[in-house]
Amino acid sequence: MKRYSLLILLVMAALLLAQCAPAAPATPAGEAPAAEQPAAAGDVARKDIFVYAHPTTIPNLDPSTSYSNDLVVMANCYETLTFYNAPGSAETLSPKLAESWESNEDATEWTFKLRQGVKFQDGEPLNAAAVKYSIDKIRELAVGAYYIWDAVDTIEAVDDYTVKFTLTYSSPLDLVASANYAAWIFSPKAYEENGPDWFNEGHCAGTGPYTIDSYERGSRLIMSANEDYWGGWKDGQFKKVVFELIEDPTVTQRMIESGEADFTYQLPADNLEKIKQNPNLVVYQNPAFLNLVGLFNTVKPPLDNKLVRQALSYTFPYDAFMEGVMNDRATQAFGPVPDGMWGHSKDLFQYSYDLEKAKELLTEAGYPDGGFKLLYTFATGDLDEQTAGELWKAELAKLGIEMELQGLSWEAQWDLSKADPAKAQDVFVMYWWPDLISPLSFLKSMYYSEEEPLFNLGYYKNPEFDKLVDEGDVLTGTDREAATEKFVEAQKILVDDAVSVFFYDSANIHVASASVAGYVDNPAYPHVVFVYDLTRK
Amino acid sequence: MQRFEYLIKRFILAIVVILSVMVLTFFISRVLPSDPAAAWAGSHPTAEQIAIANQRLGLDQPLHVQFWRYFTSVLQGDLGTSLQTKQPIARDLRTYLPATMELVFCAMLLAVVVGIPLGVLSGAYKGSFFDHLTRLVSISGVSIPTFWLGLLLQLFFFSQLKILPLGSRISTATAINNPVTQLTGFYLIDTAVTGNWAAFKDTLLHLVLPACTLATYPVALAIRMTRSNIIEVLSEKYILAARITGLPRRTILFDLALKNAIIPTITVLGLSFAYSLTGDILIEIIYSWPGLGSYITGAVLAIDFPVIVSVTLFVTVIYVFINLILDLLQAMLDPRVSLE
Repeated sequence: MKRYSLLILLVMAALLLAQCAPAAPATPAGEAPAAEQPAAAGDVARKDIFVYAHPTTIPNLDPSTSYSNDLVVMANCYETLTFYNAPGSAETLSPKLAESWESNEDATEWTFKLRQGVKFQDGEPLNAAAVKYSIDKIRELAVGAYYIWDAVDTIEAVDDYTVKFTLTYSSPLDLVASANYAAWIFSPKAYEENGPDWFNEGHCAGTGPYTIDSYERGSRLIMSANEDYWGGWKDGQFKKVVFELIEDPTVTQRMIESGEADFTYQLPADNLEKIKQNPNLVVYQNPAFLNLVGLFNTVKPPLDNKLVRQALSYTFPYDAFMEGVMNDRATQAFGPVPDGMWGHSKDLFQYSYDLEKAKELLTEAGYPDGGFKLLYTFATGDLDEQTAGELWKAELAKLGIEMELQGLSWEAQWDLSKADPAKAQDVFVMYWWPDLISPLSFLKSMYYSEEEPLFNLGYYKNPEFDKLVDEGDVLTGTDREAATEKFVEAQKILVDDAVSVFFYDSANIHVASASVAGYVDNPAYPHVVFVYDLTRK
Repeated sequence: MQRFEYLIKRFILAIVVILSVMVLTFFISRVLPSDPAAAWAGSHPTAEQIAIANQRLGLDQPLHVQFWRYFTSVLQGDLGTSLQTKQPIARDLRTYLPATMELVFCAMLLAVVVGIPLGVLSGAYKGSFFDHLTRLVSISGVSIPTFWLGLLLQLFFFSQLKILPLGSRISTATAINNPVTQLTGFYLIDTAVTGNWAAFKDTLLHLVLPACTLATYPVALAIRMTRSNIIEVLSEKYILAARITGLPRRTILFDLALKNAIIPTITVLGLSFAYSLTGDILIEIIYSWPGLGSYITGAVLAIDFPVIVSVTLFVTVIYVFINLILDLLQAMLDPRVSLE
């Protein structure tokens, strides 16, 4: 009998659990539960909270080593010396923690004048010593993107507000200082006293407009306004920022549609049309600094023949692929530097789909009926890379060329190509995006001569090209226009040599609530929302 | 004495299993094509960075040295560092495990308090309308894909009725205005202990859908197992004897019959508990539940071997431990079970 009563109790407990649902306070139709309940006295109102439904986790909040999606948080609590402006701005860079900067003639000495009266969130002043400490720490730890400071030999705090960098070779340090990783300036005192783990427990010691309240790993990060921010505050700006970490895109979509979230990306591409028609949402489409290339194996026959590579460049159905598969997510590329970035040029020759032209070139190269096989490797699970391959394969078959598609894990794909170029793939498909916003990242990594292949996985070697890239590199720090000319020249060589099929430049697609004003997409800081710039309409 | 010997024997066996899993997972992770050093160094590493990473991760050492290093550090509770997040895995586990545990415990509670009584009644009234209905429910329960059920429940309770939240452990508003003080990581306990009733209620609301979704399979399993065992037990002579003596029906059912019928159900639920720790990946993703499932998914997608190996090891330990407890429990419940 006793056991029986226990059972009844347990069943009642279960029912209670189940009944909790209807017992919830009724919310008005059209509103989500909980999130939009009227705020009690003292509570922060929903309109003052910016909710970013973020599709991936935020792994590392340590400003000295952060090198991942953490960027979306870091950019709201830390600041860099300089800031890379969104495409379309008059200037490439604008001042942030540095008010002005200059270099010597060959860009081997840089002096930054710091903004005065700026404080870190722990109350410490921003000064030259703090800048020196931050960058020295990043270089000392040597994790993540620290190598962007590779050229730096010494950093000197000339006075409280002047920092001087002496370099071993010329480098565009103004650009480096605007980087989205390894360039955050943080409070030396906070770092020394608390150590790196403290940051990862959900703390922040930057100069930025928001500070971290709490971080529940894998779930949610909450920030609140830094009252003492040097930029000051005005009405309508957000008081809290919440990152909801949501991996399932359909859930994210429901959140943004129901008004629970204000901003997101990576929604299912098929649903974009529906989202665009929703009057409560705004879809932002902008070029991303990200492109897809298929590197031709330039040392293995038949692709060691420039004519064959050019012929193949005419066989990819660019328009059909953009319209049928990518829609708004991409545009056909002009060479290897993506649209919107400095160094990009629309004057470059763009291959188009032209099988007759391809046939002519193949005949000239001695392959009138094709008759060769190619291996196309791509990252397993990447549908865009796979579809591009399938469409291309069908076109090549018309010319008697057989293409085998092989999906591999990135490591396996990379290992295959690093081993022996003569036995490696013929077309290596991969994305590229810059660590430092410079054409150099694209040109040097993928096409500059390498003894041991690392990312030049088409094994391209051309001294003339290398020379132009080197010259552009030196000029980047001193004369960006002249550097651009060199880089464009270099790209012309690549396009003429048809070293890759330049598939497309990706677009960033972000979805925001229509009630949020002031958002500008800046591909230099991918997927970052500078919440300080926003207001609620 | 016999029990003590048995315990020692099982314990040694458990250690052998755990050691084998350690060796296997370690060497598999080294044999598969992957480049942990490159993964550590980031998206576009230079050759120099990869070399530094190789050194830091000890990958330049011979395999047996690497294994010994791994083995000794695991014994000291250090599971290594994630390649992707650069965070200590042991700490990550401490963060993610309570969320999963809370969810799995609630689901198992449902399985016990709903599944077992339904199974008993269904078996006792075999052939009745109630029995048919329960069987229909249990068959649907074991065959329905949980991710689909999860989506349906979300559609119905969030999108249509708007009475239950979409996912995560607590709502944004609660997290800001009534934040949970982290004590154990189990929100129901933490909020109850600190008297944060607004957050407690919110936590409970957020648990309903994922717990019900996760419970579907074990509930159905419990019903089916209990039902078939009850039917078998009820045909035993001692039950007939009890009936003749005129004992009340509920005493016969829940006191006499259930005691014998429940053993297989407990075994199955115990294993199902261990399975759910990582088997609820889809449910965690659908409900944005920051648990072990979400953690391991991220690791698998990033080929983060240290995390994969550690979680595998961790789950193995739990499996072995639960198995041990189940065996002992069986012996306690049924004196006929031999410990030999």
